[in-house]
Amino acid sequence: MTMSWAENAAIPAVLAATVLPLLAFAAILLFARSRPRLSARLSIGAVTVSLGCALFLLAGHWRMEKPVQVTVRWLVSSSVEIPFGFLLDPLSLLMLAIVAVISFLVQVYSLGYMAGDPGYSRYYGFMSLFAWAMMNLTVAPTLLQLFIFWELVGLASYLLIGFWVEKFSATQAGKKAFVMTRTGDVLFFLGFLVVLLGLGNLSILEMNGPRVTGLMAPSALTLASLLIFGGIVGKSAQFPLLTWLPDAMEGPTPVSALLHSATMVAAGVYLFARLFPFFSLSPTAMSVFLAVGTLSMLLASTMALVSRDIKKIWAYSTISQLGLMIMALAAGGYFSGVFHLTTHAAFKALLFLCSGVFIHLYHTNDIFELSELDCRGLRIPATCMVVAAAALAGLPPLAGFFSKEVIMADLAALANPVWFTAGVLGVFLTAYYAFRLVFVVFLPPPGSHETAPLGGRSDHGTDRHEAEYRAMAWPLVVLAGLTLVLGFFEHPLKSFLVGHSPGSAAHKAGPAIWVTLVPLGMAAAGVGLAWLEFGRRGAPRVGFVDRIPWLRRLFEERWYLDHAYRFLLDRVVDRGISALCFQTDNKVIDGGIDGMSRGTVDGGRFLAFLHTGGIQARLLVTFAVMVFLSLYYFFG
Amino acid sequence: MIVPFGHVLLLAGILFALGMFCALARRNLIMIVLGIEIALNAASIAFVGSALHWKSIEGQALVLFILAVAATEVSVGLAVIVYAFRRSGSFDPNTYNLLK
Repeated sequence: MTMSWAENAAIPAVLAATVLPLLAFAAILLFARSRPRLSARLSIGAVTVSLGCALFLLAGHWRMEKPVQVTVRWLVSSSVEIPFGFLLDPLSLLMLAIVAVISFLVQVYSLGYMAGDPGYSRYYGFMSLFAWAMMNLTVAPTLLQLFIFWELVGLASYLLIGFWVEKFSATQAGKKAFVMTRTGDVLFFLGFLVVLLGLGNLSILEMNGPRVTGLMAPSALTLASLLIFGGIVGKSAQFPLLTWLPDAMEGPTPVSALLHSATMVAAGVYLFARLFPFFSLSPTAMSVFLAVGTLSMLLASTMALVSRDIKKIWAYSTISQLGLMIMALAAGGYFSGVFHLTTHAAFKALLFLCSGVFIHLYHTNDIFELSELDCRGLRIPATCMVVAAAALAGLPPLAGFFSKEVIMADLAALANPVWFTAGVLGVFLTAYYAFRLVFVVFLPPPGSHETAPLGGRSDHGTDRHEAEYRAMAWPLVVLAGLTLVLGFFEHPLKSFLVGHSPGSAAHKAGPAIWVTLVPLGMAAAGVGLAWLEFGRRGAPRVGFVDRIPWLRRLFEERWYLDHAYRFLLDRVVDRGISALCFQTDNKVIDGGIDGMSRGTVDGGRFLAFLHTGGIQARLLVTFAVMVFLSLYYFFG
Repeated sequence: MIVPFGHVLLLAGILFALGMFCALARRNLIMIVLGIEIALNAASIAFVGSALHWKSIEGQALVLFILAVAATEVSVGLAVIVYAFRRSGSFDPNTYNLLK
């Protein structure tokens, strides 16, 4: 076979890609804590090698016939055998490449963004930890291995959200993210236990294979799918576990770009795509997924309408776009979901990184404050931001347009028109909030500030700042380039992903022309409305939602979801479960231990009576024993 | 033998019980030694009676040993009591509880 050279090289390439970041992590934390430049070099070096290997693997397996799986036995316990290894198929190769590319760009960008931070080395250590865990997650051949790295990326996320430990809100946000994703992970864990009971192993290829239906009852399939979906809901911040993601923006902006938009939160969608044939076996579960995705998409879009925090707007947008991917997958569009995952990774990372430049220079997250400052002067980030926002809104010819188009085609193919309507509404809201931000930040009302000289960065124009700015700028250019061209790779990607993947042959070509035109029209309408309200000269700069106070309040308070959680925590967890546990602890456990010790003491007291140390008592005992012994021997 | 063997054993039993009671219940060291003496003598009576009953000399021989043991016991016991009284100033056995 012609591909054999690629397959021979596959094992060392995967090993290099997936192990080096771990070594970098260990080396940084052990030896380079006080040497920031060395740790950045180690980390970026490791991720560069990973990037090279990932691209090499992707290119080498571009026309692969069947998945490559290599496993070694890791643990053996009687009949149970736990393998460890990697599985290379189009999906995992694509995801590996996405992770490697975004990790690499974000780490380079961080050279500028994090410059001078006292935790610089720690930051790069954690970034390497994340890169290692995420790459291993993508190539995991079994659910158990996937779960292990799933938890490790959760740990990296926790560490990086709370990176600025001196900020109380950051540590709180880290904790919240950790606890909320863990809630979903418990369900995930239960889910794969159900699979283990039915199937006997957790191999992803077997779960997606034809044997599953024979070994698992339909109800068990549905149950397992729903439980595993719980993990997806937690990780991808879907309804009802969605409020951790906006809070996670407390972390450094590159972290938000890498973990909380492009890769880690997309791990949920990736898992969905990974088990797509398995999930497809249960129509009930798929309709639940569709509903959850739709709900998350719409809820998060409405939240983004009123937010003033630039990073939170993109965070809501991330939730909403992940919801859209889940909708697409649940509607049966394997390719459209994965394609949108790919394009979204590019343009959403770009959005965050551009916002990071402004935040880094102007130290504010508020879009109305940013509009007072000279954001337009920063040509590269401003241009890239507009490009990425247009991609997010789904305007041609950018990447987002192509991926949204295929998603809409899949939604339109469903029998119930509700989903397509919801999708179109989502497109409208997305275009509106994206361009609301763009117009507010880049089209300040005239006279609000003196027209600053173009190239405003020269205000900060020392050499050091210039170098930082360049480190931040060129990843933006690369990502913007990707955003521009990625859409045109739709057909090669489709033949790569679908041509060899099982279970996605049902995708039919040839959507009606209105399926393309209606979302496009809605996106244009969204942009137009944003222009009317925020962009044009003399615009009121008040959104239509802001005119309805109660609605605005509802959106600002995130549909009172956090209040619901607080209520739930206070009433059910604190006063119900915790109180019950407290009572159990007090009465049963403490009582039991007290009883045991009291019994010991009482027994000791009783026995100590035999041992009073008094002469007569001993004599009495001796006498009594003799009497009883003689009675026993004479009459017994 | 005029006195029936059963009566002898009964007497011995009663004396032994009295001696034990004395040794166990009295709150005076001297009375404890006294009680033990009485119990030993009860055993002697039982031995002598048995020797007569079974026409065997070993019983009487054992009584001689018991007399010797009893005499020793009294002398050593009284000496210990005198010493103990000097140390603690009390005859009450309950005050001797250092081993507790």
